[in-house]
Amino acid sequence: MEIEDGAIARWLDPLTLTRDDSADVFLETRRTTTVEWRDGMPAEPRVAVEAGVSARHRRKGRDRLVFLSGVEEGDIREAIRALQKPHGKPPPAPPRRSGDHPEPPPDPSVERWTRRLAPVFERHVPRHRFRWSLDEITRRVVPSGSPGSTPGRSTRRLFSLEGTFVAASRRGDEKRSFSFHAPEADGTADELREALTRAAVARERPIPAGDAGGDVLFAAGTAAFLFHEILSHALEAGADENPLTLLAAARVSIPDLDVRDDPMRLDLFGGYERDDEGTRARSVKLLDAGRVGGKLTDHAHAEARGSTGHGRRAGPGDLPLARGSNTLVSAGSGTSEEMMRRLGNGLWIDEIDSGAVELSSGRFRLQFPRARRIRRGRLAEEIGPGLVAGEMLAALSAVEPVLGRELHVCRSLGWCSRGGQVVPVQGEAPDVIVRRLSVRDR
Amino acid sequence: MIHGELESALERRAPGAWELYRKTAETRELDLAAAERGEAWRREEGWAARWWDHGMRFASASDPARLLSAISLAGRLPAAEEPPPPLPKREVHREPDVAPVAPPPELFEPLAQLVSEKSRGEAVLSSLTIRRGRSVEEIRNAAGLFVRMESSLLDGVARALGRRGPRACERRALFRWDTEPELSALAGRLADGATLPLAPRGAPFARGGWLLDPAVAAAMLAAIAPLFSAETLPRWVKRGELASRRVTIADDASADAPCDGEGTTTRRVLAVEAGALGARFQDLRSARRAAAHPTGHGVRPSYRTPPAPGPRRLFFETAGGVAPLELLAGVARGIFARALTAPVAVDLEADRYSVEFTGVVIVGGRAAEPVAGTRVSGRVSEFLGRIAGVATDRQFFPMPYPVGAPTLLVERVNFE
Repeated sequence: MEIEDGAIARWLDPLTLTRDDSADVFLETRRTTTVEWRDGMPAEPRVAVEAGVSARHRRKGRDRLVFLSGVEEGDIREAIRALQKPHGKPPPAPPRRSGDHPEPPPDPSVERWTRRLAPVFERHVPRHRFRWSLDEITRRVVPSGSPGSTPGRSTRRLFSLEGTFVAASRRGDEKRSFSFHAPEADGTADELREALTRAAVARERPIPAGDAGGDVLFAAGTAAFLFHEILSHALEAGADENPLTLLAAARVSIPDLDVRDDPMRLDLFGGYERDDEGTRARSVKLLDAGRVGGKLTDHAHAEARGSTGHGRRAGPGDLPLARGSNTLVSAGSGTSEEMMRRLGNGLWIDEIDSGAVELSSGRFRLQFPRARRIRRGRLAEEIGPGLVAGEMLAALSAVEPVLGRELHVCRSLGWCSRGGQVVPVQGEAPDVIVRRLSVRDR
Repeated sequence: MIHGELESALERRAPGAWELYRKTAETRELDLAAAERGEAWRREEGWAARWWDHGMRFASASDPARLLSAISLAGRLPAAEEPPPPLPKREVHREPDVAPVAPPPELFEPLAQLVSEKSRGEAVLSSLTIRRGRSVEEIRNAAGLFVRMESSLLDGVARALGRRGPRACERRALFRWDTEPELSALAGRLADGATLPLAPRGAPFARGGWLLDPAVAAAMLAAIAPLFSAETLPRWVKRGELASRRVTIADDASADAPCDGEGTTTRRVLAVEAGALGARFQDLRSARRAAAHPTGHGVRPSYRTPPAPGPRRLFFETAGGVAPLELLAGVARGIFARALTAPVAVDLEADRYSVEFTGVVIVGGRAAEPVAGTRVSGRVSEFLGRIAGVATDRQFFPMPYPVGAPTLLVERVNFE
């Protein structure tokens, strides 16, 4: 039987004696199904069913957290009790009986997916090694009564497919990487099919990029990857000092560039309605007409309007951190052909497989598995794998004034790690040209 | 009886071909920064089952009841046919320590002072997360195995910020101490890693000797380690001469745990012996496929993942090594790689690697000016074959399993 929010809030009362105190209880149950796919055959099925609770207390920059496996009444009470007596001997683990929980019903969606994926793979990418997973995550937050927070619960179903496949290239077979992350929805299968079709298209074998400075056209939504690294991370409250720290409202890019972080886009992998502190999520402008916008905040770093609803946890064992969710870049007016003509000579990138930023220096790097040279506005030879590097402010100031008019979701952007905490993220962007970046082989 | 019920359920599904695993862990963590302090106490319980029922299946959960559900759900999914491996039989039982885990030591102030001293005031410690914990693992299987083992840890991550004029650089260092905290070595890594990249120049020459700090050498060893458990070796590997004759690489976790994650006895295995490729790390499944014996390398990074072959405590042997200063003195012209500025990139199949680092120029066997950043890339086979010197100053680093490396000297390297 589920414990009422009010009862849990009452148990937290002794922890919030002054206005500086806040406390909450966070509960998570997670069911993850993973299947390894090898050349159309499912193998090594795995199912993980987990439950955990944490109780947290915060007072004037000091956080204390107690995490226990389990979400039953005894676990919740024990976590709160341990928080009240931080230096005492922790109570022994309660004995568990195997009949404590009713068996959860089988997930028909999982069996449906295993039936649906086989023909899709067989048709588009018959030789492959993929890991498919479906995560069902249910979270519940019961705050002690912090302003802006109300008890809330959410359920997300996240679909991921990652791995490699063998594709035909014009000079023989080659191994290509593939990743696709999306919230499970009616259109997920069709979208996956389209993504696999695009990924498996016959291409020339890539040649090394060489070391060169270059102008880059970020196509197929990959600009979301760039802005996730250089804007979203830099504007997370509590992040290290970085080149944007002292530039609030300063113009750093073209007036047509608007970038926001919007957790409410539930069609994207990083979406949610309430954050992991119980705050209703809201969209935050990271770049407003080329000017540095607001910060992404959690309770601990809330400004006058309160938390923006970006307090996120990787799991119940972690303290919340202010984290980005979905990075969205507004569209412009350029067609794809016009953007290539504007680029002139440079690099056209439609796949990025990872990114990183060092906030203190502002240096970032994005790794791409392959790209195309653009010569005189036309697609030329395939190159890769390589990496694009640059500096945050220099890259923002070198964005070309015209942006593409079509928006593309970047489904390869799926998980982001900060301080070892991994959360789902995603983004959507039009074609964006950035001049004078550094490009080299990896 | 929890185990009895789970064992019966597994025996019904896979007679004689199942394994049950349980891990309980308690950790205390202290997270300190200039104005913030976080304390966490975690008590985690994890259960896992693996069984062969027309192929291998795996289930994990946070308690036995949920594990029964997970077993039932995983049992409904299709699996590729695979016969079960022979399961180990033995009994190792150590009574776990029941005393509560003590809070980790408060080391922010002394470490901050050391970082400041070693960087001559150019770097500050920006945060320190330190964790002390203990875990108890139990393994049972259908062959009658029962293993209970306990392990403890003291590890964490520290970050330092270097600043020179308008330029800044952050460095992060992971650490794991098997005995007492080694603050001086950690402070040195943080101070150099955060300030050397602020130097005005890159590599002054294109070719020379390459001296690798133990931290850089350990990262390189961890990056090539998948070679030692690969089922199929890349075509470039020559078994008899994988590396220079000075190189011996061993794996021996017997001081950490009596058994691996499947209950096979831990033993010392030479992965490379005087330059020649040695034994492969085997878990139960890979050993069955290779018609070999398991070597005690069934690794469980977490109860959530099934065991897989991999290193457990991998290190360069240093018995025939020389003093680090002797290696330095032998470098006429080269660069000492003190800290990485990006993760080591290795493509074993293509025989390629790339290491980006910061360090110090060496001329005539002496340290000269700092190098902001440079890159060495090339063939893994050439890197291993050109190791010309191994020092005696081995240190262990979490990668995340312990990897031990001393200072290494590699000859004839191209700097970019």
